[in-house]
Amino acid sequence: MIKFTLNGRTVETDAPATARLLDLLRDEFELIGTKEGCGEGECGACSVFVNNLLQNSCLIPIGSIVGADIQTIEGIIETEQFKILDESYSIAGGVQCGYCIPGMIMASAALLSENPHPSEAEIREGISGNLCRCTGYNMIVEAINLAAKKGDGL
Amino acid sequence: MIEKITAYRFERLDETLSQLNREDCAIIAGGTDVMVLHKSRRGVPPKIPKPIVFINHLSELKQVYQHHKDLHIGACCTYSELLENPLIPFALKNAIKTIAAPAIRNRGTLGGNICNASPAGDMLPLLYVYNAKLLLRSVNGDRMVAISDFIQGPRQVQRFHNEMVTEIILPFVLGDSHVVFDKVGNRNADAIAKVSFAGFVRISKDRIDDIRFAFGAVGPTMVRSIDIEKKLVGKTIPLADADIAEIVAAFDKIIRPIDDQRSTAAYRKTVALHLLRYFLSMKQYQPN
Repeated sequence: MIKFTLNGRTVETDAPATARLLDLLRDEFELIGTKEGCGEGECGACSVFVNNLLQNSCLIPIGSIVGADIQTIEGIIETEQFKILDESYSIAGGVQCGYCIPGMIMASAALLSENPHPSEAEIREGISGNLCRCTGYNMIVEAINLAAKKGDGL
Repeated sequence: MIEKITAYRFERLDETLSQLNREDCAIIAGGTDVMVLHKSRRGVPPKIPKPIVFINHLSELKQVYQHHKDLHIGACCTYSELLENPLIPFALKNAIKTIAAPAIRNRGTLGGNICNASPAGDMLPLLYVYNAKLLLRSVNGDRMVAISDFIQGPRQVQRFHNEMVTEIILPFVLGDSHVVFDKVGNRNADAIAKVSFAGFVRISKDRIDDIRFAFGAVGPTMVRSIDIEKKLVGKTIPLADADIAEIVAAFDKIIRPIDDQRSTAAYRKTVALHLLRYFLSMKQYQPN
């Protein structure tokens, strides 16, 4: 049995150690906010926090997260930071089809937690591992910029 | 049908090495390459043909320290950990910032990048020009291998199944040196290189004391030639056009890239030689 913390709750699974965290989240824990895009670590749609660090859940064998603290998009939805990001993405028009957005929000949150007032270049670097095929990124960058101003340190 | 998978995760390095001594295992550090290499359908765990040993939680593999002026880097340090560590040289940090993207840098390890031995491995050209050595540990003891001897070809390394790369050692570099890393890919982040280049030069006054180059993704392993490098030692900068042309022509003979889904042989060679020429023009850095 593999035991870890998922969105604040201790969970365990008897899935094989090589199972991808992404599949476990979606299929066993029914947390379908985390998306699969490329499945190769290039698109960031499956981004989660592992011990507060942004990582691609499609590349994580669950045997390597024993005892770790995992947070998904569902786990951060109640935070002030999420609320500000949510609002800012709406105002800036940062969401079109929406598929990349859970990953984008995770990357945005990771960036703002580490660097509450990023420059445009730092914002682009922060989301450089996330692909969006609709927006052309400018509205997402604007959304993060707006969130940084509104959140002011969150 | 559920296939049985054997996986180990020991709390200590010595227990891990004992297991490797008993059984030929696949070692997983960050997993960023292994999980892609053995990827199967959605919802189906990757099929890894050997028992698995997880090592990325072992604190013994995350130390960074100086010993006799050489820099020792634990094999399971992630790129992000290296970026935060005050002992890592700035040149290496600047290069690491251009590799992957935050999420992969939080997971991928230096040791993993080496043992994956991809012809396009991002850290490899740099480690070659640093003359990096690897510490391999087994239950029988330690041995040290130059990275250029360790990597034998695509995904082929000179590691016995009971051994593990535990440290990467960057030998002490005298005086002021300049290190340059260039990577050409389809995208700035998360791209596999079409061509990569690392250059290292140490100059006193106007004289070249030491110069090294390594090219990635243009052959089965990194392309480096100590014979060609020697031709430039003792020359003064700026280099004469004829000297630059001679070095470029020498690499033109030994760089033999291939066509694949990422790029063409012709493109790779042209770009590799341009990067070399640009480095030799010494415009990328300001000598003192």
